[in-house]
Amino acid sequence: MKPLVLGDLEFQSRLLLGTGKFSSSAVMLEAVKASGAQIVTVALRRFNRERPSDDLLGPLMTLKNITLMPNTSGARDAAEAVKAARLARELCGSRLIKVEIHPNPHHLLPDPIETYEAAKILAADGFIVMPYMPPDPVLAKRLEEAGCASVMPLGSTIGSGNGIAAGGLLDIIINNSNVPVIVDAGLRAPSEAAAAMEAGCAAVLVNSAIAAAGNPSAMAQAFAAAVQAGSAAYEAGLMARSTTAAATSPLTLFLG
Amino acid sequence: MDNPSQYWSLAQAINTAASRADNRQIFSAMGAQRPGPRELALMLQPQARAHLEQMAARAKSLTARHFGNTVSLYAPLYLSNYCSSGCVYCGYASDRKQPRRKLPFDAVARELDALKREGFEEILLLTGERTPQADFEYVQACVRMASELFPQVQVEAFPMTVDEYRKLNLAGCVGVTLYQETYHPVVYDMMHRWGPKKDFAGRVSAPAHVLEAGMRTVGMGVLLGLSDPVVDSIALYLHAEELRKKYWRSGIAISFPRIRPQEGGFQPAHPVEDRLLAQIVFAFRIVMPDVPLVLSTREKPSFRDGMAGVGISRMSAASRTTVGGYAGAPAEDRGQFEVSDRRSVMEICDMLQAKKIEPVFKNWDAVYTG
Repeated sequence: MKPLVLGDLEFQSRLLLGTGKFSSSAVMLEAVKASGAQIVTVALRRFNRERPSDDLLGPLMTLKNITLMPNTSGARDAAEAVKAARLARELCGSRLIKVEIHPNPHHLLPDPIETYEAAKILAADGFIVMPYMPPDPVLAKRLEEAGCASVMPLGSTIGSGNGIAAGGLLDIIINNSNVPVIVDAGLRAPSEAAAAMEAGCAAVLVNSAIAAAGNPSAMAQAFAAAVQAGSAAYEAGLMARSTTAAATSPLTLFLG
Repeated sequence: MDNPSQYWSLAQAINTAASRADNRQIFSAMGAQRPGPRELALMLQPQARAHLEQMAARAKSLTARHFGNTVSLYAPLYLSNYCSSGCVYCGYASDRKQPRRKLPFDAVARELDALKREGFEEILLLTGERTPQADFEYVQACVRMASELFPQVQVEAFPMTVDEYRKLNLAGCVGVTLYQETYHPVVYDMMHRWGPKKDFAGRVSAPAHVLEAGMRTVGMGVLLGLSDPVVDSIALYLHAEELRKKYWRSGIAISFPRIRPQEGGFQPAHPVEDRLLAQIVFAFRIVMPDVPLVLSTREKPSFRDGMAGVGISRMSAASRTTVGGYAGAPAEDRGQFEVSDRRSVMEICDMLQAKKIEPVFKNWDAVYTG
């Protein structure tokens, strides 16, 4: 499989994991290991170095071959996200930043305007910027022009398990993008991750579907296998989809 | 709504319509695609009690969807028990013989230290109604002190002006809790015998002032037992929905306080049994799937253990309801109400972990507070 290139970094795994919502950090670590993920995202607001039993950052830093991608979940606007990103970079030493700005704490949908503003500032500041965004093809191009290393359109709302709700828009984003497109949020089943990869996504980010599974580690493995299968299928070139039958003998030979 | 008593009258009308529902209607309310006040009312009917188990299952799965397998923990800190109001149900009402105390700043610092050592990162600072002893400036100064140590500081005090809430926000307060107690205007008037809390309209408009000032969250609730708990719950939902739609950059949290024994010996006219309280919580989770639902140590351990993760996503732990209760209140002091769950933080964490729920202490960062 070709490596996933984000800025000047390269990764073999195309499955990214979120670290919230697990029943304990031990369960979370097991799932991360089982997934083979090389990038995990962790919310700055869950950094708690004073109380290790409550901290998500400490346990993750013990893992080898993992790149941390802190996220700015909790930020309501660009200014807060920029402050949070800089603090997170200082605390965990990673240049990767997932810009996550959802002013509404209930549906957690990203604010496109603030996300764009924050992405511009952070890209200019040397971050490898990964913006969580609505599946909007124009915004995706604007974010690419702003210097983002990837775009991360949501499949559906965080935690909803509604899969890829706007597949048509995702296709347009993928067809027009010069940076990796990573579906983030909403996936429920490994088959949905495989479908995203088959459609040409560069990677997927999964959290709830693994954290809320009966057996998170086993589900993490299932997602890893699905991502690999979907990616291999995309590389192999899927047969074109058609709504009509293709005749094995040409029908227009008589026209000469 | 233009008139603050409309929440009650509308809720009552919705409840009356729902009371005629049959089993089929109640069942379909539980699975509705976009449930609203009508569905809430249906799920709160006595006939719905037969479906409590199904409601619990749906509440649990919705809670896990938004909050994951986690419950966040916070601690209340009583700053002062001076009060200027005469609420019949409260142990701190101004006619009680309670010794009155207000924590001087050095004692506030000791309490904050004690809570920080317990591992808390989220605290709720409480006072009575506005008094010369515990006024706005005092609360503001305490918020400033607390926000030096705690990433998340919330306040449960007296209704303030938008300007005061703005100042409190700048001092480091991210949320305000303010219970309506009851939306029934007549009962409200009877329960609040004197003092500033008698102002029903002022109380109803306070949560909007909180959000107008830019606070991240407003905690709402009714004191279950004062009035018909079903109608009050529907009224609360109507109010919360109105705020949620208007102040879309902020969040709502709902608490479910029910009247506890307190000095004064007030007996509620509408006592709320465990099964009804559970029904109310499950119904709220189904109609507000992504709103934090809060349960305090007013409730006994077995009830809290059962509700954790099944609707409830946020809990207080190891609470003291006396002023200075963490670092040395006089033993003879009585709290605002009797605490039922006296377990330590460690015991609460063990309980949650045994249920495969992660206790979360820090879910906020001061970087977002300013």
